[in-house]
Amino acid sequence: MGALEQALATQRVAVFVGSGGVGKTSLAAALALKRSMEGEKVLVCTIDPAKRLANALGLKSLGNLEARVPAEKFREAGLSPKGRLFAMMLDVKRTWDDLVARHAPDPVRRERIYRNRVYQQLSSALAGSQEYMAMEKLYELATERDYDLIVLDTPPTAHALDFLEAPGRILDFLGNETAQVLLAPALSAGKLGLRLFHLGSSYVAKTLARFTGAEVLTELAELMASFQGMYAGFKNRAAAVRALLAQPEVGFVVVSGATPASVKEALYFYDRLRSDFMPVAGLVVNRVTPELWPRAGSTPTDVELAEALAGHHLEGLGADLAARLARTLAEHETLARAEAAQVNRIVHSTQARVLAVPRLEREVHDLASLSRLAVCL
Amino acid sequence: MVASLSSVVPGLALLDRRLIIVTGKGGVGKSTIAAALALVAARRGKRVLVCEVNAQERIAPLLGGPPSGESTHEVLPGLHSLNVTPRAAMREYGIMVLRYRALYDAVFENRVVRFFLRAIPSLSELVMLGKVLHEVRLVEKGRPRWDLVVLDAPSTGHAVQLLRVPRVLLDTVPPGPLRRDAEWMQALLLDPALTTAALVTLPEEMPVNEAIELDEALRHLLEIPRGALVMNAMPTARFSREELARLDELRQAAPPLGPAAQAAHFQGVRVAQAEEHLSRARAAIDLPLLLVPWLARERWDRSALEDVADVLQSQLEMRPVSLAAKAAAREGS
Repeated sequence: MGALEQALATQRVAVFVGSGGVGKTSLAAALALKRSMEGEKVLVCTIDPAKRLANALGLKSLGNLEARVPAEKFREAGLSPKGRLFAMMLDVKRTWDDLVARHAPDPVRRERIYRNRVYQQLSSALAGSQEYMAMEKLYELATERDYDLIVLDTPPTAHALDFLEAPGRILDFLGNETAQVLLAPALSAGKLGLRLFHLGSSYVAKTLARFTGAEVLTELAELMASFQGMYAGFKNRAAAVRALLAQPEVGFVVVSGATPASVKEALYFYDRLRSDFMPVAGLVVNRVTPELWPRAGSTPTDVELAEALAGHHLEGLGADLAARLARTLAEHETLARAEAAQVNRIVHSTQARVLAVPRLEREVHDLASLSRLAVCL
Repeated sequence: MVASLSSVVPGLALLDRRLIIVTGKGGVGKSTIAAALALVAARRGKRVLVCEVNAQERIAPLLGGPPSGESTHEVLPGLHSLNVTPRAAMREYGIMVLRYRALYDAVFENRVVRFFLRAIPSLSELVMLGKVLHEVRLVEKGRPRWDLVVLDAPSTGHAVQLLRVPRVLLDTVPPGPLRRDAEWMQALLLDPALTTAALVTLPEEMPVNEAIELDEALRHLLEIPRGALVMNAMPTARFSREELARLDELRQAAPPLGPAAQAAHFQGVRVAQAEEHLSRARAAIDLPLLLVPWLARERWDRSALEDVADVLQSQLEMRPVSLAAKAAAREGS
């Protein structure tokens, strides 16, 4: 059993986090593939807007529904899984709509919310909306389905905080008490077609309207009015999601590249997860260049390589072969050593398991290459 | 083989726009390319501002300076940097709309109001983009404050979200101050004389896929003019196919030959894959190409950035690349 697999042996949910471009999606899919090969029923869920997972799994579109990875995809890759692999891509808007439908007291209220222009922009415009919906969907999947393992790939957050603070921030938006006080006259009117004077004659409301235009505020007031009475349901649900994430059956995996910027971000993420009491199963440093030169100090010179080449009857080849080899090996080692130093930095800065995954010769973009990556986990 | 550099390059016209939007997948080197383009423009005597958007600042440190923070800061002569944050941009925008600082502070620093600003669709993106575009329009002593603004945009999905904001507002917001701002911003973004987008990618599977998607989004969804495809970290072929085949047999040999042959093998594989992805990108994305070779650097610092700028400059000026000569000179010194 590999190091990452071991770290996640008893978990039912694995959440892959990290900055963009570090290979989170491939690693998440590889882990899911590996566990399904071994006989489990596994789901991998991504919310990446670039549809990378769909690409990696050879699927054209994933929708907001779980779809089983077809048997012929496995056959094409020469794989015969003992279990079943499912994949899905989160549709943020759909998840919002489902959540509203779940909490709305009646269809009229639900439709009124769906029609609201502020609501229509909410799913894409409100910071953290994507992250919140990812957790919401994860909760639904974890509590209402019977997967042995759910692997969640998260959006490439520019800021680690977005992911952890999203539910709180959005709940603060939906249930903001001071905003409700300000909107109270409008809210108690409780009907469509509010006029601005319902916002109160307050200095604040008037100035705000000058800033945004009155109608935008009216739409917002309508949305707040529609959400009245639903807030408690939202809040309970978000608390349950949060509680789920802190369970021992959940393991966060922080993914990093081997560059200083990426490592810095990963360590920041790790610290944040720990201080929020989220269970970190391990850190993965992805695509690490292997060191080839076995000795300390500088790599061989042109002259040394020319001597070594002399016995191998390579006379027909380019004249400066030794020089090119020397340069190539030197460059390779420069990179490998710089990356090894970054891996060390992670090892010394954390108490969690750290797994360095070597850069594979072939890129990871189908089931066959995912299974080669899975071996390293 | 890699297409010859002289075939289609964007030329210096790229730098003659007032705004270059640098975007691409996360991790492809957008900040490096944005900083290098800004450096090239500054070397050519332009007054340049390079903007990051709500980021952990990378550009000013890359250029060897302290973080610029929320106000413009001169990192190198003629080259300023700025990190645009929602809060600072909102404040500046608010003061501009309301005209009185005290009024802004009284009203907008209020917790309730901050709530509203967050709740109104896309407002934080609007003010951040607005801040950047405002800098483009800024006039000082009868001439533009900046000859060129380089926007280090967020990665693909977030960039589309940011750049789409004026259009979203035009579609959803009734007439009023927000809409008027969306109108001038959209006009600026879509004007090919003023604005151009540079798509940065790596010669790898996923980055090229995302560059192709982003190119589609730029053309059909955003309609922002595009100026260049920047292929970053392109490895240069160093061994012939015959050499690689012969060297493969030596990969198990004792050092020094084995490790050297293995390094050559890795390099050969990387080159072959990279060339495949380069041609795929070029077939799908009909844009002039800037090619940045892969540089072996232990630290990604100012001198590495100067090298990238050298490469970009020589291509934009259509001079042959002299990086090898420079590297040799550095090794010799």
